[in-house]
Amino acid sequence: MTAPKTELTVPGAPASFDVTELAQLPKLGGLFAMGLAGSAGKRPKGAVRLPEVAYQVADVDTTGEAEHLAAYQRLLGEPSSEVLPAGFLHVLAFPLATAVMVRGDFPLPLLGMVHLKNTARVLRPVRLGEALTVRAWAQGARAHRRGVQVDLIAEVLVGRELAYQGVSTYLAKGFTAPDGAAPDGDAPREEWTAPLPTARWKLGSGTGRAYGAVSGDQNPIHTSSLGAKAFGFPRAIAHGMYTAARALAEVGPVRRGDTYEWTVEFFKPVLLPGTVDVAIRYAAEAVSTGTQGFVYEGWRSGKDSRHFRGTVTPL
Amino acid sequence: MSTTPSPVPSTREAVIIGGNRIPFSRAGKKYVRTSNQDMFTAALEGLVARFGLQGERLGEVAGGAVLKHSKNFNLIRESVLGSSLAPTTPAYDVQQACATGLEAAIAVTNKIKLGQIESAIAGGTDTVSDAPIVVSDRLRAALLDANHAKTTGAKIKALLQVRPKDLAPATPGTGEPRTHLSMGEHQAVTTAKWGISREAQDEIAYNSHQNLARAWESGFFDDLVTPFKGLTRDDNMRPDTSLEKLAKLKPVFGTKLGETATMTAGNSTPLTDGASAVLFSSREWAEERDLPILAKFVDAETAAVDFVHGHEGLLMAPAAAVPRLLARNGLTLEDIDFFEIHEAFASTVLTTLAAWEDEEYCRTELGLDGAFGKIDRSKLNVNGSSLAAGHPFAATGGRIIATAAKLVAAKAAETGRPARALISVCAAGGLGAVAVVESV
Repeated sequence: MTAPKTELTVPGAPASFDVTELAQLPKLGGLFAMGLAGSAGKRPKGAVRLPEVAYQVADVDTTGEAEHLAAYQRLLGEPSSEVLPAGFLHVLAFPLATAVMVRGDFPLPLLGMVHLKNTARVLRPVRLGEALTVRAWAQGARAHRRGVQVDLIAEVLVGRELAYQGVSTYLAKGFTAPDGAAPDGDAPREEWTAPLPTARWKLGSGTGRAYGAVSGDQNPIHTSSLGAKAFGFPRAIAHGMYTAARALAEVGPVRRGDTYEWTVEFFKPVLLPGTVDVAIRYAAEAVSTGTQGFVYEGWRSGKDSRHFRGTVTPL
Repeated sequence: MSTTPSPVPSTREAVIIGGNRIPFSRAGKKYVRTSNQDMFTAALEGLVARFGLQGERLGEVAGGAVLKHSKNFNLIRESVLGSSLAPTTPAYDVQQACATGLEAAIAVTNKIKLGQIESAIAGGTDTVSDAPIVVSDRLRAALLDANHAKTTGAKIKALLQVRPKDLAPATPGTGEPRTHLSMGEHQAVTTAKWGISREAQDEIAYNSHQNLARAWESGFFDDLVTPFKGLTRDDNMRPDTSLEKLAKLKPVFGTKLGETATMTAGNSTPLTDGASAVLFSSREWAEERDLPILAKFVDAETAAVDFVHGHEGLLMAPAAAVPRLLARNGLTLEDIDFFEIHEAFASTVLTTLAAWEDEEYCRTELGLDGAFGKIDRSKLNVNGSSLAAGHPFAATGGRIIATAAKLVAAKAAETGRPARALISVCAAGGLGAVAVVESV
């Protein structure tokens, strides 16, 4: 298994980008309303051109996040701690990334975009009560065999120190990559057979609503079966990041360490309710000797139908 | 990874005088509405009667239950108070899943060996028929909030959080808390990894029923079991089962693994109710009272395995514990006359034996120089085990210790040479407890 390639190496938005300071993190509810309204108008026409803009919010006070963090930890199975898990930092920065995607000049529709993969790195532990700078932008529009894919980058800084980088790669089906962008070269899906499970997750019909409540991502495909049907799914689907965050929690703070990389690649969506068989294994045993950390995979119980795979690697 | 065991310090002996249990009964049958305390008190009372312990102050009574209601916080002490032992007999609860009974025995025999106490009873009880039912987490949170609220308004507000679906009770399961796989599913993964066949498992189950039935017929259990609630024998026992009948059963575990499922209701233990107790003491204490001494409780070892991320099977800890225990006591598998390996599932016995025969496994996982060895199958669970008798979790240890003690006593009497039994019990949480019992 190879980890999804991480595009980000240098922190901060490219030099050519215009950095817009916002007074505070936007609220997701309003952004979704904008996204819903704006999505209809964003149709494939010509090559995709991303706005060269980054949003930044300084002095984000996390003191008031204690209850939110506790709710997140309870839902995902993270032990109670004042250190914010990578999944929580993703949730924290998500509204700012969403704000980029609902801009009028962002050419892809917020609703209907498919989350392909996610790579996050915690480079320094972030604690409850620390004041943070959060920034987000979009980059790397490139061809995918079914359209165009784009990276939404989110960063969290404590003081001037980069503490977290997240790269969320989304697919917009039917769109055309900008001229000159090299195709991603997605190989056809490899044959895959389910390994022996190490865990089994029974996900109830309320799983999407529960994660929606702690993440703010109330996308109707996750929260209601009617909403999911509107986008062509037979039932509501679990948030991919919920499954990845659960795997991260299961590895746990002791084994992932203070600084770590957490990746996930999504395949077939998890329909709710549903049972997901999971194998969360030592990378040294599952991949090759000497490999650090953990690899995880999830699939539909009893079927060779894979939902996700990823890694948790101490840095 | 392995360190040289330090020599066992010399202490005085802890001896086994005898045991008593009630017949084990399949869940939902004879012992419906019978509590853990009822059952353990019955097992205790039978032991007291058998050895004339009425009014006696014992050093202590230790035991427990795996499925326990919070109101049973002092289950064993309450059982003692309801027995004819002196009310000045101290007691405490132990819980180590299916190893509870054996762990309780390890604890009390260590105190006897150290001279802290002269006599003790260890045992356990479990009921699935009378298992505690728990309210949902949301209902519990609302009730606690209401309880903590100062004003009536705040109390009502707290209770208004409750939704109809929160009223559904949460029934106890055998799922591992970290993996959410049931014990059977975990063992199915281990079974698949070791490639244990359906036929081999059914044979273990068949032998268990045959051996237990023969032991009952021969009167082996006459002084080990007291009838209870109209039951005189273990009602899970199927002397008339056959390999053909066992072969017809549908697999119930491992049906979603993509490998042929092999574990059935026939080669897995059923949910069972029951209780057991074993009397231990110093040699002097037994001799002063003219009580018989069946065997010595020589030594014990516990182990745990890293099962959460699939490195090792959930129920494989005894595979690691036994080599450590035998090495510390200068013993090998050849020195053992009886192997009492708890049949959580037929395949648990088989994966444990397969592990000991596997050179690579023994080297890398157990830190041995080569394969630990192969056991003589004719010495395995000779009077039946959990597949036939049933497995009331915490009561199994006591059942096995009493059986093992009686077996070695009889063997030594017959041959004039010392006889030894190895006891091995696997448990949830990747735990295992093992012990050696030897004739006196």
